Amino acid sequence: MNLLTATTRYYLLLAAALFGLVSGLLCWGLQRALRHEADEQLRNEQVYVSRLAATGRGLPPTLLAYQLDRSWQPRPLGLRDTVLLDSLEYEWVPFRQLTFRVPAQAGSPPEWLTLRKSLVETRDLLRVVLGIMLAGLVLLLLGVVALNAWLARRLWQPFQHTLAQLRAYDLHQHQALALPRAPITEFAELNQALNQLSERLVADYESLRQFTENAAHEIQTPLAIIQAQLEQLLQTPALADDEAALTLVSELLHTTRRLSRLHQSLTLLSRLENRQFASSQAVPVQLEQVVRDRLAQLEPLLDARNLHLAVATSPALPPRLLHPGLADSLVQNLLQNAIRHNLPGGEIQVSLTSDMLEVSNTGPAVVGDPARFFERFRKHNAASDSPGLGLSIVQHICAYYGFRVAYEYRADPARHTLRVTFA
Amino acid sequence: MKVLLVEDEAGLRQTVTESLRQAGYVVEVSANFAQAHEKITLYRYDCVLLDLTLPDGDGLDLLRALKAEQSPAGVLVLTARDGLDDRVRGLDLGADDYLVKPFHLSELNARVRAIIRRRQFQGQHHLVFRDLLVWPEQNEVLVRGEPLVLTRKEYDMLLYFLANPGRVLTKEAIAEHLSGDQVDAADSLDLIYTHLKNLRKKLQDKGANNYIRTLYGIGYKLSTSD
Repeated sequence: MNLLTATTRYYLLLAAALFGLVSGLLCWGLQRALRHEADEQLRNEQVYVSRLAATGRGLPPTLLAYQLDRSWQPRPLGLRDTVLLDSLEYEWVPFRQLTFRVPAQAGSPPEWLTLRKSLVETRDLLRVVLGIMLAGLVLLLLGVVALNAWLARRLWQPFQHTLAQLRAYDLHQHQALALPRAPITEFAELNQALNQLSERLVADYESLRQFTENAAHEIQTPLAIIQAQLEQLLQTPALADDEAALTLVSELLHTTRRLSRLHQSLTLLSRLENRQFASSQAVPVQLEQVVRDRLAQLEPLLDARNLHLAVATSPALPPRLLHPGLADSLVQNLLQNAIRHNLPGGEIQVSLTSDMLEVSNTGPAVVGDPARFFERFRKHNAASDSPGLGLSIVQHICAYYGFRVAYEYRADPARHTLRVTFA
Repeated sequence: MKVLLVEDEAGLRQTVTESLRQAGYVVEVSANFAQAHEKITLYRYDCVLLDLTLPDGDGLDLLRALKAEQSPAGVLVLTARDGLDDRVRGLDLGADDYLVKPFHLSELNARVRAIIRRRQFQGQHHLVFRDLLVWPEQNEVLVRGEPLVLTRKEYDMLLYFLANPGRVLTKEAIAEHLSGDQVDAADSLDLIYTHLKNLRKKLQDKGANNYIRTLYGIGYKLSTSD
């Protein structure tokens, strides 16, 4: 329900309630006034008739019997409502009546007189008034609805424009929003606030991007120096016979490599998070070829650990538009994970279809929440050299392309499956 | 063979220079763009090792200058940007190869050697090491005149050793050279062990003993003498 429908609904409810109340008051007030008037007239007539009776000349005969009803039997006195049958239209008609007693005169017994006034005009009047009011209400409500529909199109147009711009907004174009000044104050303020917000976003994004880029570049340089110097140190003749020193230097070298890899993984993750891979870098990638290349590279590792590999790919898969480096990283991390967390003599199954890539492997049972496997620095084995970023990278690449990635564990025999479903 | 190293980081410049000199190259160095530009216009080099980010200019402009002069020098770009970066993929500008920092010096030696070989000798080049004679363009290896049949990986590994005679090569460096990618330390031995074992055995079968020495836990070394 949009805002206008909601407000219109309240307007209509209020209008209907007020109309009901006013109609009720009007009915009651009109009826009361008219009845009061009838009572007054009846009393006037009573005075007149009483005086006439007091003269002793007798009452003149009336044309309409119901207007002056005479009786010699006692009747209840005072003002009352009554209904009489209209013999012409054959319907009951409301009347107001006043009964009073005329004392006995010479030659005549006491008499009870009833004067009546028809209230049918009152009813008709009420009908007309209420009818006009109802018509007015309907016109008013239709008017409100029509006005709101028109306002929705016209007055809210700047808002719709802002909304469309926001939807289409892409931070990666490094451009702040340039929303126009709207004629309505509220919208103008909204646009101004959004413009400022997007300017801040662009500035923050830019500084983050620069930081990531600098970090990626500047940290690798000292690492390169350390690594090169350690490698040179390893060659010095003095170390050739000093096994302890040689081991120490090679450990240092090894740790430097590790640090460098860790740094590269983290840089990749933050570049993915900041969406710093422009879509223009994407090229049609044959995932099947990527999988085959990677497997060929890992073959010695599979052989050394006696792992059995089964690859199933659907024939004639269409290429996917991906960043080649990311596609490679995705496949590599999935395969690496399947090898690393396998058992000697275990199995790896890779299956690729047009809508998913699935890697499953045998391995020791794992405990814990599967969702947490994708967390950074999540290690199955604390002594492991791997920084535990592989699955996190997989998840980020999938998120980047809108793929879904799911982990599944089946016991007996323990089998871990990672499935990437292409969107 | 003459090599120009263009690198602004003093520490890296010195170490790389030392390593290249040990490998038998004549090395000249430039620490900035202007100096490097002057050198490439004045002298001839067999190979230029080029850092892309220089304090006073873009290394890619040096590459363009070399190409414009139709220099015979091979170009190896040294960059801190990895394969996920566009600029690396943009090296189609004419660089022969690129190496991502940090790199193994032994890998650098192998790449420089491959570039010079490809650029200058057009298949007329051969390598002699002790009893080995290698024709790299024909992928042919002879031990005392007898052909040695090797698999692709074994051959690559032998060439890598030959590019770094007498150097200690870590398992990781060899594994990364063979796989062409970064390798986890835990996996490196598994990745190379079988190839290494077979290569050694084939060499021994032809009477080439004690060529590859094992440094336990560290790596391997191609012995220059018995």
